[in-house]
Amino acid sequence: MLSPVKIWRNQKKIRSLLNKNGEILSFTKVYVPPAGFEAQAPYVVAVAKLDDKTRIIAQLVEWEDQDLKIGKKVHTILRRTKDPGIEGIIPYGIKLKPLD
Amino acid sequence: MNVSILAGATTKFGELWSASPRRMVREVVDLVRAQSGLSLAKIDGIFVGNMLSSSLGNQDHLGAFFAEELGLNVPAVKVEAACASVGMAVHLAFLSVLSGRYKNVLVIGIEKMTDFKPETVNNALMGAGSDPEREAGATFPALYALIARAHMEKYGTREMEMAQVSVKNHYHASLNSHAQFTRLITLEDVLKSPLVASPLKILDCSPLTDGAAALILSSANDKKGVSFVASAVATDTLGLSQRQDLTSLKAARLASRQAYTQAKVTPNDIDVAEVHDCFTIAEIIAMEDLGFFKKGEAAAAIFAKKTWLGSGRPVVNTSGGLKAAGHPVGATGVKQVVEIFNQLTAKAGKKQVKNARIGLTHNVGGSGATCVIHILKRN
Amino acid sequence: MTANIGILSYGIYIPYYRLKTAEIAHVWGKKSEDITSSLGISEKSVAAFDEDSVTLAFEAASDALIRGNISPSDIQAILVGSESHPYAVNPTSTIVGEFLGVSSKYLAMDLEFACKAGTSAMIAVAGLISSKLINTGLIIGSDCAQAKPHDILEYSASSAACAYILSDNSSDNLAQILEVTSVSSDTPDFWRRDGVRFPSHGGRFTGEPAYFYHVELAARYLLEKSGLKPSDFKYCVFHMPNGKFPRLVAKRLGFTESQQRPSLIVDSIGNPYSASSLLGLSAVLDIAQKGDLVFVVSYGSGAGSDGLVIKVNKNPLKSARNFNLRVLQKKYISYIDYLKFATRI
Repeated sequence: MLSPVKIWRNQKKIRSLLNKNGEILSFTKVYVPPAGFEAQAPYVVAVAKLDDKTRIIAQLVEWEDQDLKIGKKVHTILRRTKDPGIEGIIPYGIKLKPLD
Repeated sequence: MNVSILAGATTKFGELWSASPRRMVREVVDLVRAQSGLSLAKIDGIFVGNMLSSSLGNQDHLGAFFAEELGLNVPAVKVEAACASVGMAVHLAFLSVLSGRYKNVLVIGIEKMTDFKPETVNNALMGAGSDPEREAGATFPALYALIARAHMEKYGTREMEMAQVSVKNHYHASLNSHAQFTRLITLEDVLKSPLVASPLKILDCSPLTDGAAALILSSANDKKGVSFVASAVATDTLGLSQRQDLTSLKAARLASRQAYTQAKVTPNDIDVAEVHDCFTIAEIIAMEDLGFFKKGEAAAAIFAKKTWLGSGRPVVNTSGGLKAAGHPVGATGVKQVVEIFNQLTAKAGKKQVKNARIGLTHNVGGSGATCVIHILKRN
Repeated sequence: MTANIGILSYGIYIPYYRLKTAEIAHVWGKKSEDITSSLGISEKSVAAFDEDSVTLAFEAASDALIRGNISPSDIQAILVGSESHPYAVNPTSTIVGEFLGVSSKYLAMDLEFACKAGTSAMIAVAGLISSKLINTGLIIGSDCAQAKPHDILEYSASSAACAYILSDNSSDNLAQILEVTSVSSDTPDFWRRDGVRFPSHGGRFTGEPAYFYHVELAARYLLEKSGLKPSDFKYCVFHMPNGKFPRLVAKRLGFTESQQRPSLIVDSIGNPYSASSLLGLSAVLDIAQKGDLVFVVSYGSGAGSDGLVIKVNKNPLKSARNFNLRVLQKKYISYIDYLKFATRI
């Protein structure tokens, strides 16, 4: 079970990264996931540079093949990130979505 | 004062189901004891390199664990720096001998990676990365895949050129009795292998391996032996996304520059090198970071066999590297030093590089957050 | 109503994925035309495996704050209505509030009343403003509805969120709440026991004695209380459990097709439960002109209906964020993907 205290401490960091625009610096499609991410595979992980120069690493969701390129404009959104199991606190975090 | 290597040995690397960490360590320690002729009573300190004993095996306190195993009461400590754990242990052992306080020091590298399912081990290995990386579902193949794609975009590096690194290291490993994989592979084998994290395929990635390795460092004057002319470490951001340049490891550039200065050599002087090819792209980038080739030129050079046994210089990864010899993360850094030690003392057998006088090891932790460089010279 | 209470801004969120009625029907060996003609639904919105009522509510509320250029620190209450709150104990409203960056001086509350929790939240916040306990409040109706495989609800139960920021600022408000009614009874037409994943229902019992009885009762009560007739309204919005019920109830009450048409979000995304009536209203507000009157009656199983008369005070701004444009950003998935997504992380 994930630590509720750590999830709570992480919230401020997440809040400051929400609703920001940026672009993809690199990306990869993960076919062999680590434990806890099996049901999501394959999924795309990307490094992005936000407009305020912050850099983040996050999953890219709701993409089409033509979105998978370095330089593609993206937007940060709020999503569930890790499997909390049956009784744990749900971790929410940042993911990326392509901008049209 | 000279810090020299009195002895070095490794176990066979592979999926060693019946071998416990205790047994593997006893095996390599017996080997270095026999090689050096030094009794364990003369050991002043033990540095143990290991990454996963805590997260996978619930065992901390490895210094005491192995001191007990060897029947000693000397200072002993675990050193952890992800996949550069034991390279870092070597560095600390070197410093301890250089300080004059310890005369003979034992460095042990040990890792057991097959006691749990790969998904669990891959999850634990991500302890070497950052929290956001773990939260994004990244694995080490994914992190190096991000590096690969950036390198391909910037320099036009091709998947075929990355694949060639694997072909070379398998060829070298076929001459190494201790390697995990000794079969030869072709470019096509690599390119056709299943994708792990695009563009990296399974044959672009080093395996999960069990193994142990050991070294004895000493201040004893050894005129015919091998000594350290450089031991340098640098660190960079933990997370890949925080790096300024995804196509180079700053920690490797900084550490290697320091190392060349310490040793008073240039990349041209290196005859043989063991570099950290956790993934094929990592070797290409290492060759650039270490100054052997200009940025963007290493891939083509490796493809043209400029670093292969028999045709190249420096000859890189005669052990088979991490890819083909195997990568027990806590033992690799010492394995690399042992390989160079064998090369410089003409004990490398079928993979011997003629007249190897100066060798370099490059051990990286995580996606480049730590880099340890040693340069060794035949006395 | 005593005080001048109205809608300062609104925001919506529709998940990206769609599942077609035809795709579901095919899996169960049914003819898609039969389903479409009896239910009046052709596709529904599906939340991804990493979405839930919290993330949907957050996106809709962010949209409302951005559209209205409102600072999160102005929000003094957050009420979220849903029947798929991720926690039985641990409020959605505070998780959303934290991510929106509201201050700590606000009242937070989660509501449940099947599909009318969103409109009930609106009435509650209107009451808080009316009593001057607050001057600005956020309400959200958000749901990631789930349905048992092969159940008729599988075709309609969808996901979306809609947020409204209410205030007493009559010069900035886009619309004013003129009148409010609500009717309630104990009618077990559709329910979900604590700890059980999928809801259950009484089949045809959900029709006349449930939906129609309560909607018509609240509607007639609202017309009586406001002293208005159906022809006084430019638009009407009814809760949309499928394509048939709202059209039939509108007709029975004397509303025309053209009054209702802009509100029929069910035609493009199915029934997103607590977001249904609220989204229908948002689609109307996207086009309603100054002076237009809007008649809204929601329905929640269990059962009850909320009624609101809303008067539009400003002409609408054309926005890329409007329902009719946002709903076009979609991707069709297979039933297999739908099952994969249902294994929520």
